[in-house]
Amino acid sequence: MNDQIVFDNVSKFYGDVLGINRVNLSIPPGITSLVGPNGSGKTTLMNLLTGLIRPSRGTVTTLGFTADQPEQLFKLVGYCAQFDSFPRGLTGYEFVSSYLRLSGRDAAECDELAWQAIDRVGLREAATRKAAGYSKGMRQRMRLAQAIAHNPRVLILDEPLNGLDPLVRSETIALFRYFAQEGCHVLLSSHVLHEVDIISDQVILMNGGYVVAEGNIKGVRSEIREQPMQIVIRCDHPNTLASRFFQEDHIVEVRMHHDKKGLLIKTSDPDRFFTLMNHVALNGHKLESVAPVDDDVNSVYEYLIGGEDESKS
Amino acid sequence: MSFWLTQIAAVMRLEIKKSFFARRGLWIYLLALAPVFIFALGAFMARNFHVFETTMPANSHLLTQEQLDSVHSGMTRDQVIAQLGEPASSRTKHVRIFDEDGNRIVIQAEDMRYYGEDRSLILDVRNGVVNATMSRGRSTFEQSGYLFATVFQFFFIRLAVFFGCLGIFMNLFRGEMLDKSLHYYLLSPIRREVLLVGKFLAGVVAATVIFTISAALQLAAVFSAFDTNTIARYFNQDHGVSQVIAYLGVTALACIGYGSVFLGAGLLFRNPIFPAAAVLIWEAANPLLPALLKKFSVIYYLKSLCPVPVTTDPGLPSLFKLLVSNGDPISPYLAVFGLLALALLVLWVSSIKIRKLEINYTTE
Repeated sequence: MNDQIVFDNVSKFYGDVLGINRVNLSIPPGITSLVGPNGSGKTTLMNLLTGLIRPSRGTVTTLGFTADQPEQLFKLVGYCAQFDSFPRGLTGYEFVSSYLRLSGRDAAECDELAWQAIDRVGLREAATRKAAGYSKGMRQRMRLAQAIAHNPRVLILDEPLNGLDPLVRSETIALFRYFAQEGCHVLLSSHVLHEVDIISDQVILMNGGYVVAEGNIKGVRSEIREQPMQIVIRCDHPNTLASRFFQEDHIVEVRMHHDKKGLLIKTSDPDRFFTLMNHVALNGHKLESVAPVDDDVNSVYEYLIGGEDESKS
Repeated sequence: MSFWLTQIAAVMRLEIKKSFFARRGLWIYLLALAPVFIFALGAFMARNFHVFETTMPANSHLLTQEQLDSVHSGMTRDQVIAQLGEPASSRTKHVRIFDEDGNRIVIQAEDMRYYGEDRSLILDVRNGVVNATMSRGRSTFEQSGYLFATVFQFFFIRLAVFFGCLGIFMNLFRGEMLDKSLHYYLLSPIRREVLLVGKFLAGVVAATVIFTISAALQLAAVFSAFDTNTIARYFNQDHGVSQVIAYLGVTALACIGYGSVFLGAGLLFRNPIFPAAAVLIWEAANPLLPALLKKFSVIYYLKSLCPVPVTTDPGLPSLFKLLVSNGDPISPYLAVFGLLALALLVLWVSSIKIRKLEINYTTE
């Protein structure tokens, strides 16, 4: 069985309005974050993947199955959508177990799986109460429980950390990591870029319905040639180093740290810079640390999408 | 196949609970119980206040209107008997009156009852003289049966079941879109056609239970106005059992027919008012439609299955005549087959629609 989520030249138009356009993606297992401003096409991408909407053009396959094969696809896929709603009149437990029954499992198995999922999100005590009375965070967690109850291999999560307090956030992130370590796909969208940075194995940056960049975040950063990479060096003699760096044509800017024990370097060629740093170290300069400061999602987002973002935290 | 049946059962478990216990479906119960209440009230009035007569002693004979009209106050008891014969029933009673001196005294009196074709005559006889006459309309079992048949066709099937099915079946998909919870079904490992069948069957169970119970209660209310002998005769001699089964069966078929129509409408239309109005007009205009188009109407089949035809009384308004006329009746077997075929056709069209259904709650 194919282990990739594949978008093959997928476009989606809502009448005249562009949802996404000509998206080609091949997403491997691990945690993949969809990042982009509101209206960039993140939710459209997730809804296309699960068949809640159909592509105007192109095909989407998940582990080899399309949305026209729901009996196979949704045994593998769990989707915690953005809609903060529950079927009327159900308790949290009934909500999770009732929809499990649709897979054809018997009542005892559904009961066991439902309680397992509810325990994973820490809502056992509240599970027998009507879901309509839950707080926002509890609703979010119960919907997550419903999405993971059948132990899917592909977990799709639209803004899954919204409304969660810091403790539950970290527990939820740990749950995502567990799924990723088990070889599952965890595809999530988030506006909280520093969390995306911490948890993601790869990112997909979207803007205006197009995929702007995809892959490992450091790899994406290195592809952005027009933005010099920023590197902080902590050392004993920053003045000597600064004068050395000024001799290199790929060094765009050198700035002294305010405590006089470090430099902020901007280089247009990171590869040559790190080669240079090897020479510097070999020549006896004592270097405390050398660390890029703009190879995170936040910086990449800033460079690629920049001021267009209204929702970035 | 058994896997699909398991899935259909799972969908039905979820949906039946929602259909029966939804707070917003309370009006459907009221709609179903409205005719029960009316018939029960009529029976209660008949039995307790004698607003109209529903019973008649078995040995009584019916008098003509002229014979009943010939009796008046002031006649002696013997004169009455000479003219009308012995009364069908007679009851002695004690009445308190004031004598000429203003003293209260108790005298013996008698109620004599005679029965005509459509009314009864009660004579208040005091001291051997008719003191007062009272005439009451008389309701025969046949008349009540006809009244029930009229209410069944005019109100119950055409309005109560129609709008009840509208409320139950349109909500199966449209209601979940408004609640933003339909996607949970569409994200489950179940074919959308199987989901459609499960929801439809759940709706049929809910609607059939509610409305056949209503029809049964209405019949029970009608029967309760009559004595046990009359009811026993109806069931033993007058095809009562087959008529009751026919009424309940027509109700169930109406739920299937209108249910399929409104399930499809719930997938095709956002606002239930327009399809409801369109279907209501289409059903009402059925007698005017060409023969082929008539077959695409639920009421066309139901009218042929109703056990007691509602004849077009010359005094009826033209609109009512049009509604009840059944100029092109078909055999019961053909009617049942035709209605089920119509329901299947609508479900097949709905299954095409649901396969392409997209979730976009923001436009709902």
